[in-house]
Amino acid sequence: MNSIDDFLILLQDDLGLPVTGADVGAGLDRVPGWDSVHLLSLLALLERTTGRALPLAQALEAGSLEEIYTLAVAP
Amino acid sequence: MTGASRSERPVESGPSTLLDLHREGRLVREYPSVRRLLCGASDAELARAGQLLARLDPDEVLAEHPAVPVVSVAVTGHGTLAPLLPSLTVELARHGLLLRPHLADFDAYVFDLADPGGELYRADLALCVLDPMVVFDEVPVPWGPEDVERVARERIGTLAGLVARFAESARGTLVLNTLPLPRRFTAQLVDHRSRARLGAVWREANARLLRLAEEHERVVVLDLDPLAGEGVPVVEPRLSQYTRTHLSPALLAAYAREIGHLARHRAGQGKKALVLDLDGTLWGGILGEDGPDGIEIGADGTHRGGAHHAFQRVVGQLAAQGVLLAAVSKNDPEPVGEVLRGHPGMFLREDDFVRVVANWRPKHDNLAELAKDLNLGVDSFVFVDDSPYECGLVRHELPGVSVVPVNGEPALHIEALLRDGWFDTPELTREDVTRVAQYRDELVRKDFLDGFDSLNEYLRQLRVEVHLVEAGPAEVARLSQLTLRTNQFNQTTLRLGPAEVSALLDDPAARVLAVRAADRFGDSGVVGAVFTHRHGDTVHIDNFLLSCRVFSRGIEQTALCAVLRHARAHGARAVRANYRATPKNTKVKDFYPRNGFVRVADENTTLTHPTAACRSDGTTVTYEHGLGVLPVPPVHVHFTEIPGDDGS
Repeated sequence: MNSIDDFLILLQDDLGLPVTGADVGAGLDRVPGWDSVHLLSLLALLERTTGRALPLAQALEAGSLEEIYTLAVAP
Repeated sequence: MTGASRSERPVESGPSTLLDLHREGRLVREYPSVRRLLCGASDAELARAGQLLARLDPDEVLAEHPAVPVVSVAVTGHGTLAPLLPSLTVELARHGLLLRPHLADFDAYVFDLADPGGELYRADLALCVLDPMVVFDEVPVPWGPEDVERVARERIGTLAGLVARFAESARGTLVLNTLPLPRRFTAQLVDHRSRARLGAVWREANARLLRLAEEHERVVVLDLDPLAGEGVPVVEPRLSQYTRTHLSPALLAAYAREIGHLARHRAGQGKKALVLDLDGTLWGGILGEDGPDGIEIGADGTHRGGAHHAFQRVVGQLAAQGVLLAAVSKNDPEPVGEVLRGHPGMFLREDDFVRVVANWRPKHDNLAELAKDLNLGVDSFVFVDDSPYECGLVRHELPGVSVVPVNGEPALHIEALLRDGWFDTPELTREDVTRVAQYRDELVRKDFLDGFDSLNEYLRQLRVEVHLVEAGPAEVARLSQLTLRTNQFNQTTLRLGPAEVSALLDDPAARVLAVRAADRFGDSGVVGAVFTHRHGDTVHIDNFLLSCRVFSRGIEQTALCAVLRHARAHGARAVRANYRATPKNTKVKDFYPRNGFVRVADENTTLTHPTAACRSDGTTVTYEHGLGVLPVPPVHVHFTEIPGDDGS
């Protein structure tokens, strides 16, 4: 996963969420089709895709998709 | 294996992937093709497909495809269970089923099991997912094995009481599971004596859970130890700590796979026959080239011969429990017969198979013909072959057949065959253990038929005897099984678990009849059932079913005539019956009109009994017989009346 676009494709194709670039910075409660279960699925998916462990406690407290993305690609 | 001609080569048709369908917004419209698209998917692919399929609205799918079998599953338990839903969705979709899920509130299992008005009591399958924290959440620190023993005893005692209450009045099957014991607990006890004691008390608790399945008919307890033993991690510590998901996603996925097998059985889609390739599957090598002495088979022979022998023992074990065995092989019949009759290394013998087909025709043609001879649908077949070409061709030509590909490593054949619990069933009946003999008799009957010029003469010579009996406890398991396994002669596909059949026996308004049949070739046992109930002066036939082994011999007309005679003798004014169309029961759609019933305009009036399974979705037709002139039973059938049934 090299860019926010890759992240969007992951959300669309792997979680089936109808999200666009505009939803990435919005609060999670504003993301279409989102519920808390998706957070667990997304985090598992990101770990599989990046091959790295995410700081799960922080990720669970993230307020937007963008924050989750930042955690996933942080060096 | 020789090369195939171009015309025999599997052709890919329809949408190429599930992801394509999702991207194009066509998953609902193309739902019936999902099963095919999921064939051979890896665990990761299934996980992804589950996410996409779980987002579909089951009502939308059903509106578009009313014939898709639906299984309602209510999920409750101790921890966070939402991550289970995508796995359940995809595991049911793999079998062509549609999941209608209900997820209970967090940690609400005690309340849900005690609430007869709740979803758990209404679902086809009620899952109560238990995890180690059911016990360890209540264990203080510091703790010893005796604390765990006390808490476990309390928790499981409560559960046993709730399960008994559930079993009394719920309509579906309750699924519990054993509690895995993660190392993170055993390792907290530093002395080995205490650690061993913890292991012992923990297993005693699990044994108590497992015995609940013996105590109650509608309870299944899944043992999670064999799943964990395959190397599936029990706990993902971060998810357990942060989100209270106490069983790992991988274990939940493996659990969902087992639920898929139960759902398949509940939807009447269990498999009945195991059809095996020979070269490379039952034995190593190629018989036509290597000769009987050159093939690899035998416990005392080569490594690979031993592996094939071990596989044959597993196949034999399945056959002993009612799975029909057949072989379909591209070979000349003579050497195949020679090996099956006389090769010292073989575990399976010719008599273990209902039919051995060795010729050079395409396998899908042989499978279709075999299905016709056995009077089964090809979708009750599981087909095992080591050739990717043959597997692909059968999948393409006969999409209903479940194909199990094996490869060149025979030591892995057993896992490949058992991976999907194709033949899982809640319990066995008397008929199961004699099934292979019954079907072999059937093929003898067919050969016998081929010797007659007229069907009537054949039937007369067959000397069919029918006994109708009021069902009692001894027939319950078999009658339930008939409702679950029978698809062709099944007028309403009302599926009933053993407890539901028992409940009907106790219902004074209901009448449950078992149809027994015999002929010159032997006793076929209980081959059919008629479920009726009386409402006012009308008798309603809620379902009428007959094993596919015995169609078209006059047994069904004989039983129907007896039901009509009984109704008239006991003062009924009319007999009503429903036919609910499914993709499988078209051949019996005219059964009632052919026997003097007429179609009723107002169809809602028959939906009065709790067992009435018919939906008002346009698939159900109601018929009525006015009991004026009764149909005449076939003269070739010798019928034994239930005493008093003719009004005498």
